[in-house]
Amino acid sequence: MSSLVFYLLTVAIFFCIYSIYGWGLNLQFGLTGILNFTYITFVAIGAYFAGVAALQPGNGGIGGQYILGWHLPFPIPPIIGGIAAAILALLVGYVGLKRLRSDYLAIVTVSVGQIVWTLIGNITPLFNGWDGLAGVPQPFNSIFQLDFNHYQWIFLVICILFAVLGFWIIERLTHSPFGRVLRAIREDEDVAAALGKNVFRYKMMAFVIGSIYAGVGGALTIAYIGAFNPSGFTTMETFIIWAAMLVGGSGNNRGMILGAFIVPVLFNEGTRFLPSTPGNPLLAVSIRGMAIGLLLILAARYRPQGILPERKTIFRLDGLQQGGEVGGDRVVPQ
Amino acid sequence: MAIVSFPSSILKVTNLAKSFGGVKAINDVSFIVREGTVTGLIGPNGAGKSSVVNAISGFTQVDRGVVELAGHDITNQAPHRIAARGLIRSFQIARELQKLTVLENMMVAPFQQLGESPWRALISRRAVMREEREHLAAAVDWLQMFNLFPLRDEYAGNLSGGQKKLLELARALMAKPKVVLLDEPMAGVNPTLTKTLQGYISRLRDQGVTFLLIEHNLSVVEAICDHVVVLAEGAVLAEGQMNELRETEEVISAYLGG
Amino acid sequence: MEWNKRARRESCDVSLLLMGVGFGLITASVLAIASVGLTLQFGVTNFVNFAYGEFLTIGAYLAYFFSAVANLNIWLSMLLAALLTAGISWLINRVVIQPFLKRKAPLLILLVVTIGLSLFLENGVQAIAGPSFQQYVTAPGAIVNIGPMIFTAQQLVIVGIAIVLMTVVHLLLKYTRIGKAMRSMSDDPDLARISGVPIQRVTDLAWLISGFLAGLAGVVLAINVTSFTPALGSQFLFIIFAAVIVGGIGRPYGAMLGALLIGLVTEVSAMYIDSAYKTVVAFAILVIVLLFRPQGIFTSRGRV
Repeated sequence: MSSLVFYLLTVAIFFCIYSIYGWGLNLQFGLTGILNFTYITFVAIGAYFAGVAALQPGNGGIGGQYILGWHLPFPIPPIIGGIAAAILALLVGYVGLKRLRSDYLAIVTVSVGQIVWTLIGNITPLFNGWDGLAGVPQPFNSIFQLDFNHYQWIFLVICILFAVLGFWIIERLTHSPFGRVLRAIREDEDVAAALGKNVFRYKMMAFVIGSIYAGVGGALTIAYIGAFNPSGFTTMETFIIWAAMLVGGSGNNRGMILGAFIVPVLFNEGTRFLPSTPGNPLLAVSIRGMAIGLLLILAARYRPQGILPERKTIFRLDGLQQGGEVGGDRVVPQ
Repeated sequence: MAIVSFPSSILKVTNLAKSFGGVKAINDVSFIVREGTVTGLIGPNGAGKSSVVNAISGFTQVDRGVVELAGHDITNQAPHRIAARGLIRSFQIARELQKLTVLENMMVAPFQQLGESPWRALISRRAVMREEREHLAAAVDWLQMFNLFPLRDEYAGNLSGGQKKLLELARALMAKPKVVLLDEPMAGVNPTLTKTLQGYISRLRDQGVTFLLIEHNLSVVEAICDHVVVLAEGAVLAEGQMNELRETEEVISAYLGG
Repeated sequence: MEWNKRARRESCDVSLLLMGVGFGLITASVLAIASVGLTLQFGVTNFVNFAYGEFLTIGAYLAYFFSAVANLNIWLSMLLAALLTAGISWLINRVVIQPFLKRKAPLLILLVVTIGLSLFLENGVQAIAGPSFQQYVTAPGAIVNIGPMIFTAQQLVIVGIAIVLMTVVHLLLKYTRIGKAMRSMSDDPDLARISGVPIQRVTDLAWLISGFLAGLAGVVLAINVTSFTPALGSQFLFIIFAAVIVGGIGRPYGAMLGALLIGLVTEVSAMYIDSAYKTVVAFAILVIVLLFRPQGIFTSRGRV
């Protein structure tokens, strides 16, 4: 297989994974107006738990210190990853979503990101500390026994299946009464409460469901790369997803796909080939970080609604205009 | 506007008190709102009218006192619980859900919609759609009544000030409330529309909806309120019918004169 | 600091506690400077600046430039760095933040902008100065023993700076017209607007003071932790948040007390548990306060 095909497959796989990440963040921010500034932590938790669910029991020695080690077959680890991220979201949401302004949740998420990162790095028996997990088995490859190059195709198919399912679910939620309540909360929490909606509960649901997307996306990432360590979840990773959402269109799941293509794929891959300088090995990374930061500011300044803005909901009213015959107990003008 | 019989009270406020950082916003307020009436809440600026509305609807916690809605104690309950019990409020400055269309604003209002559960939204699509049709029918009726139907697909944020006020009232009614609390529904509304709104409120009252409304414009109050409560400095100064109150000396000095 | 650890092991319980208090006072001093800067700006503008941590980083690196490259005295470098950071903070408000406020951008967007700014600035520092550890060339000075508490002369200077700055802030808020204007904007923005407070001037000044305090806090933080990277400020940010929220967000005096509390508790706890987890203790306090007293523990009425 040519290296170009290999590269394109990798890009396609990450495109799918970033779309999944994006839909979750979009549900939280685009639809509900929840600020999660450490989305990547939920990705990481999903990745770690999926990783230890798929790995053989740890040997307790160097490189082999981690919990669980259940060696479960494929579709199960992503489910565990999703559940783990959901549980973290419940905890964070309980602290940050209750009766507070949106700044507070943002502060809590920033803090949680730092703490989880510190804890995972320092408590080695959890997920092998700063060295992270490695050798996570590839889904189904014990059956196929393919080399890494050919296995790419299998994994791409898995990712596409997940992405299609993820898109179907998120679209259905977005355009349901549930999604409508979330948007009402985004516009004005007090109005939603005055109309009998339990704002805390809905925000929590949006936060948890969005985090499940993060966790499942993380599970796919670790299944693909086979490894994960704390340096894989930096602030920058969170904001690549944010930038993708803002550029693509917050509140629009199709826009999110576009954003996942423009930002992580075109932009990130494009700057990957910046020459590295001997004096400053991270110069290219730094410049990429600056660019993402700038992109966020510019997107917020010039096109906060994104390339594909949220679509207007138009109800079909055929047969309803006459009024009167439906719900006869209601007041009708003379 | 004479009340034929004496209907029972649906909203009862007893000895309500609330202070903010030492300043007493509500001192000691008690009154009742009878079912099927329009009750006005008037008083000079700073009399505590909005504080009373916020306290009744659960948006501020009171220090003392009891609020009962149809016999249930709703004191200091969360706003959404009070709303679910059938008390819907509007806000002084119209607070439409800007990036939702007019029709969507209406569709948010009904309680406990099936599709508000994410799980049901995913798996019971048919039942959810059926329920949506029912709510749509009701929403269309209300919008037609308030002349907002042609604007149904417009973002609520694009409406004029008066249209927003109408939408807010229509949205409140969409929730099938027992009691509607209107915080200055006529403020910033042109005279013609004020007349129209007055007409709507009276007509709805005749259909059995109960209103408690804060209003500055006394001729509006006189025209539509069956009963009026006058607040001054966080306490009830007087109550009765508007034409009687106009003659009361205290009211004149506290409000009408000053 | 090797001697700290050795001393730690050798002391008995009470002196261990007091020693923790000693370290706590130093951390609290750094934290107080930083927290007051953040909370002052919040009080006036009513939104959290998530790029505030990077203001500290910028201060620390500017001082590094002045002291290590231009060979200036560290305290002079600190002053210059703080002044420059104040200017940068003012400029950022004018160039980046104000256009959003003029268009009445929603709070959510504003917060996203400050976090984008944080990413931009941290990586900017990293692009210029490199990712490796830096250290000021300074002598910690003579060791001063106050009971079982051990300070270096440098650390005492830090405590002194904090006390002076807190006094200045107090005098500013209490006795100057602009300070009173800041407080009134913080207490009731609408009322302040109506009663003719010069919003633009007060806002400018808030960003200047906030930047000055941040730059200075960055330098003393860098001195205190001895070596630092471009992540200096962003890693410290949530401890600042903890102090600010404990004291009630937007309230300078609360932030001072919050800093004292967080400083003392984290450093005393570090005497008994692995010091890698002292940030966890700060986090635990943050969580407890948010759960039970989100308006802050030193305020009767919050801004929540």
